[in-house]
Amino acid sequence: MCFRVFVANEKVMSKNFTVHLKYWRQDGPTAKGYFEERTLDTVNEHMSFLEMLDVLNEELQLEGKDPVEFDYDCREGICGSCNLVINGQAHGPKKGTACCQLHMRNYKHGDKITIEPPRAAAFPVIKDLVVDRSAFDRIIEAGGYVSVKTGSAQEANARPIEKETSDIAFDYATCIGCGACVAACPNASASLFTGAKIAHLGLLPQGQVEQSNRVVAMVDQMSAEGFGDCSNYGECEAVCPKEISISAIAEMRKDYVKAMFS
Amino acid sequence: MPSFKKAINSQVGRKFMTGITGIGLMLFLIGHLGGNLSIFGSAEAFNIYTDKLMSLGPLLYVIEAGLAFFFLYHTILGVSIWMNKRKARPEGYTEYKSRGGASHQSLASRSMIYTGSIILIFLVLHIIHFKFGADYSTVLEASGKEVRDLRRLVIEEFQKTWIVIGYVAVLGLAILHLSHGFWSAFTSLGMKHGDTSKKIQTIAYAFAIIIMAGFIFIPLYIYFTGGQGSLIAN
Amino acid sequence: MKLDSKVPEGPLEQKWSQHKKTMKLVAPNNRRKYEVIFVGTGLAGGAGAASLAEMGYKVKAFCIQDSARRAHSIAAQGGINAAKNYPNDGDSIYRLFYDTIKGGDYRSREANVYRLAEVANNIIDQAVAQGVPFAREYSGLLANRSFGGAQVSRTFYARGQTGQQLLIGAYQSMMRQVQEGNIDYYTRHEMLDVVIIDGVARGIITRDLVTGEITRHEADAVVLATGGYGNVFYLSTNAKNSNVTAAWRAHKKGALFANPCFVQVHPTCIPVSGDYQSKLTLMSESLRNDGRVWVPRKKGDDRHPNDIPDAERYYYLEERYPSFGNLVPRDVASRNAKIVCDDGLGVGETGLAVYLDFRDAIKRDGEDTVRAKYGNLFDMYENIAGENPYKQPMRIFPAVHYTMGGLWVDYNLMTNIPGLFAAGEANFSDHGANRLGASALMQGLSDGYFVLPATIGNYLADVKPGTRYGTDHEAFDEAAKKAQDDIDKLLSIKGKRTIIDFHRSLGKIVWDKIGIQRSKEGLESAIKEIQALREEFWKDVYVPGDKNNYNKYLEFAFRVADFFELAELMAKDALDREESCGCHLREEFQTEDGEALRNDEDFSYVSAWEYKGVNGKLDTELHKEPLEFEFVELKQRSYK
Ligand SMILES: Cc1cc2nc3c(=O)[nH]c(=O)nc-3n(C[C@H](O)[C@H](O)[C@H](O)COP(=O)(O)OP(=O)(O)OC[C@H]3O[C@@H](n4cnc5c(N)ncnc54)[C@H](O)[C@@H]3O)c2cc1C
Ligand code: HEM
Ligand code: HEM
Ligand code: SF4
Ligand code: F3S
Ligand code: FES
Repeated sequence: MCFRVFVANEKVMSKNFTVHLKYWRQDGPTAKGYFEERTLDTVNEHMSFLEMLDVLNEELQLEGKDPVEFDYDCREGICGSCNLVINGQAHGPKKGTACCQLHMRNYKHGDKITIEPPRAAAFPVIKDLVVDRSAFDRIIEAGGYVSVKTGSAQEANARPIEKETSDIAFDYATCIGCGACVAACPNASASLFTGAKIAHLGLLPQGQVEQSNRVVAMVDQMSAEGFGDCSNYGECEAVCPKEISISAIAEMRKDYVKAMFS
Repeated sequence: MPSFKKAINSQVGRKFMTGITGIGLMLFLIGHLGGNLSIFGSAEAFNIYTDKLMSLGPLLYVIEAGLAFFFLYHTILGVSIWMNKRKARPEGYTEYKSRGGASHQSLASRSMIYTGSIILIFLVLHIIHFKFGADYSTVLEASGKEVRDLRRLVIEEFQKTWIVIGYVAVLGLAILHLSHGFWSAFTSLGMKHGDTSKKIQTIAYAFAIIIMAGFIFIPLYIYFTGGQGSLIAN
Repeated sequence: MKLDSKVPEGPLEQKWSQHKKTMKLVAPNNRRKYEVIFVGTGLAGGAGAASLAEMGYKVKAFCIQDSARRAHSIAAQGGINAAKNYPNDGDSIYRLFYDTIKGGDYRSREANVYRLAEVANNIIDQAVAQGVPFAREYSGLLANRSFGGAQVSRTFYARGQTGQQLLIGAYQSMMRQVQEGNIDYYTRHEMLDVVIIDGVARGIITRDLVTGEITRHEADAVVLATGGYGNVFYLSTNAKNSNVTAAWRAHKKGALFANPCFVQVHPTCIPVSGDYQSKLTLMSESLRNDGRVWVPRKKGDDRHPNDIPDAERYYYLEERYPSFGNLVPRDVASRNAKIVCDDGLGVGETGLAVYLDFRDAIKRDGEDTVRAKYGNLFDMYENIAGENPYKQPMRIFPAVHYTMGGLWVDYNLMTNIPGLFAAGEANFSDHGANRLGASALMQGLSDGYFVLPATIGNYLADVKPGTRYGTDHEAFDEAAKKAQDDIDKLLSIKGKRTIIDFHRSLGKIVWDKIGIQRSKEGLESAIKEIQALREEFWKDVYVPGDKNNYNKYLEFAFRVADFFELAELMAKDALDREESCGCHLREEFQTEDGEALRNDEDFSYVSAWEYKGVNGKLDTELHKEPLEFEFVELKQRSYK
């Protein structure tokens, strides 16, 4: 009655192909980083990109070498932990896809793949491809919430919200906080992340009350963290795994100006 | 409510002001082009126009000061945004590629600082060239008033090959600046991304090309007709 | 040891309100003098940390990820239940309570479940007030759907991202308290031990995952909200960092572990494609509403599925369960998929999958209708599996999804160690032997927002404010040293097999023998295999890197070490439970036609295990908390 789960039968193995990897190595925040190169022969089209790196790490360990550190958790494109820059594109080449959901069938035999961490002063490298994104937490801390105490909420249906508004707010609320927007932005700006939260809360009646303070505090924090300005490049929207529109940034600006006159 | 000073120096405020100053400068360009095209009107139209401007007296100084302020402010913002980006990403990527799609990265958007700087240099030379150029004078037929003959200066100057080449080159680059700038300014002022924004981008291209074609036409026409073309009444 | 569930007296509907009225309170000016540690900031921990901080307690919150927003709760898709009865289809608190008790196959406490159903409505109010964008009708009012076979529409949802939206709501409330200085927020910190002084939980030992530093934290109460242990199976739908370490270390310090063998398997996941597979992706159960499940009738039929005529297709769920068909509950669907694959009828490259076919739905309703309902799921499938489900059937397979077992807690969510609480998936409290869809989010948030804030106060009222032993107390010394020693030991082995390799082998044993279907024989051999593999692990594992740096594989190493011990406990628990109930089938206990046979006479109890040491084998003592049903009548399930 043995029940097989872990199988790698011939049919699967025969489809293996080779890629040439070049990945960033950095021992710590202050250490000097460098690129390391390695060829991997056992890549399979069904593997996710991160599984390919798992395989790389197994190989490295079997040779007694240190594995490459990279961040991940859910591997379903929802937690926002993963954020590799692959061949110069945050999360790799596929639209609306986090790199944990990117599959190796998007690559072919002999491809060269360069992997770098997101690069921004506000995201210092911790080790190899892992960076510190606590700046995002501090931006939310500055005002990305509705000040409602547990237990003090009114009946949920007491205040209807137009479906359309609610749906748009939802689009902004889907941000997973991965930081790809920062990674891809030529200015290393966090405007899409910040704008998405401001737009999400600002569109809903529950969030409107505090909107003026929120937008000012969050925008301030964003600059204080050392992110660059937004030049409307729109690259952030292009790489965002949730395809959040840069309209979020427009909402942020509009609300900021409103705050000035409130 | 943030203080005005804080607001204007915030990331949103700065970008908002690049947009406002950019739009202001674009409006100036429209006006300036309109004025310049009067060179193709009656023989005196251009000089009448420049004289009108001069006769504004102190008001002209106010306008000029405003214009200078806009240029300066716009420049300072542009340069500081660019410097900030270098601070925000001290170490760049070895490989970098735009994802395309929704991205507005283009030659135009990535070269704003360069096209802007070239416009700035052009501007200094341009003002030296015309505003502080040879001071010909002429008498207006209608009023008998003696005025500066800028028309002559312009027509003479645009007979010189290197000047025409310089102007055309700079004005060509300015197309890039405007084609992204026009769209970007609206976005900076709160335009959402969607169908309207796509239309605005198309209008931006059209605007940039039409305005700059207008400017470019002047030196080219004068050069190739030797200032004797039928459009230029004598 | 006597297990006192501390369930209040009185009628079911009044237990909680009565209890709230009589519990002790801490005066507002005194609250700042108490420190409460939250280990874990998922739905349960995040909601709890925010709520206690709002009340004025000093809170310290810890999580493994680089932000509280990334807890595993973020991945929940389907929705959250509450008996608001907005659709006016006859729902009520009692019905939600009843469905949950019945769904758990009568292995949970009535009082706990009733309270859960009762506070669920407040969760929705709370979430909406935080700005959670639940789905709405055109009227602007909240929308509901029916989920997991419920006969009423009581599930609130936010597209396929309900967990995300709820977690972000709790996270934001938490961040507000961080800003106000009421929460000390520690990310990338992992708890390695609870510190117990005079029999009372007084703090924790953590490891800073960036610097490797072992740190000590003292507090007046400790809450473990560290999630479930599904990753003991190696492959599961859980996030990669989900683990049992915090709960297990508490268990080793004396906290009882309840019902470890109750694990839920989800029937509709994307199947395994190879050895490198690191996790399994869940697809919404709603797919079974329109998809038909089948395998070829003939063994080894490797024709393209579209070329297999209807007569040669075995629609096994429809044939075996004519009245429920493809909509049988999770455990029945999972078990049957396993059976057909065991019989060699499985499909795909690995033979470990069954078809979920939309051909007939597309023919009946048109591709556009199907796309409107399931478009994003289809896209997700195509992205991962590389096949177009509009053109050929999906392949699906069951996967471990949720663990009902966990730390034993009383009605106040306190473990048997005073001052040590457990919330969310980390405790065993509300789901009995099986969990209904959309009720884990409900439980986590109910624990965090509404139960803990009341019951922790009740506990703290008896603790003298400002009691401090100092983190240089010998109990801290000892625990910190133990934590460090364990790490040093792992790093010193420098063996030849990787951690992942060991974990995969462990997972295979657990899945094969302590999974959907179990037998005495299998469980006994599982125990032996686990012991042998554990011994090998401690001799031959290779843990790379060093301890004073970010080192994810080192983290995995100690988590896997704990899974090794837990796995043995699961097997022992499964062995003890000589009945088929909830999510699992004991082969010896089934009806003539192969259905689960529960034994209420002998097994109506919570198994609460006490740890006695590991020495080659796991030493334990079983304590039983009898379950009495005053308000519901026990019924055998039937889906025929
Ligand atoms: C794919 C999927 C879909 C699901 N869909 C639904 C659904 O639709 N409806 C529903 O009701 N339920 C669903 N569930 C179940 C539900 O999501 C979980 O049961 C629930 O979110 C658990 O919440 P939690 O707060 O208890 O723990 P988690 O969210 O798992 O949080 C655990 C926390 O503990 C921390 N932690 C763990 N160990 C340590 C340690 N040693 N030291 C420090 N910190 C630690 C982690 O960092 C994290 O912050 C789903 C589950 C999965 C896997
Ligand atoms: C007639 C002259 C000019 C016009 C009409 C003009 C117009 C514009 C417009 C409309 C924008 C878009 C503003 C926005 O994004 O909100 C812009 C951006 C910019 N301009 Fe100009 N500009 C002119 C001259 C200059 C000069 C002299 C410089 C000097 C360096 C300059 C540098 C820039 C830069 C760097 C940007 C991009 C700002 C950013 O990255 O966000 N421009 N310009
Ligand atoms: C072929 C194109 C152009 C022609 C023929 C032209 C002509 C002139 C003339 C004749 C003057 C002097 C006006 C006076 O002193 O009263 C002038 C001034 C000026 N021009 Fe142009 N110009 C051209 C293009 C441009 C462009 C592209 C810009 C902007 C980038 C520009 C900006 C200015 C400015 C700022 C002044 C000074 C205005 C003042 O101080 O009042 N010009 N131009
Ligand atoms: S806006 Fe998009 S890219 Fe940026 S953090 Fe959020 S999800 Fe990631
Ligand atoms: S790419 Fe950068 S410049 Fe703005 S529009 Fe996006 S943040
Ligand atoms: S690992 Fe969670 S989004 Fe990629």
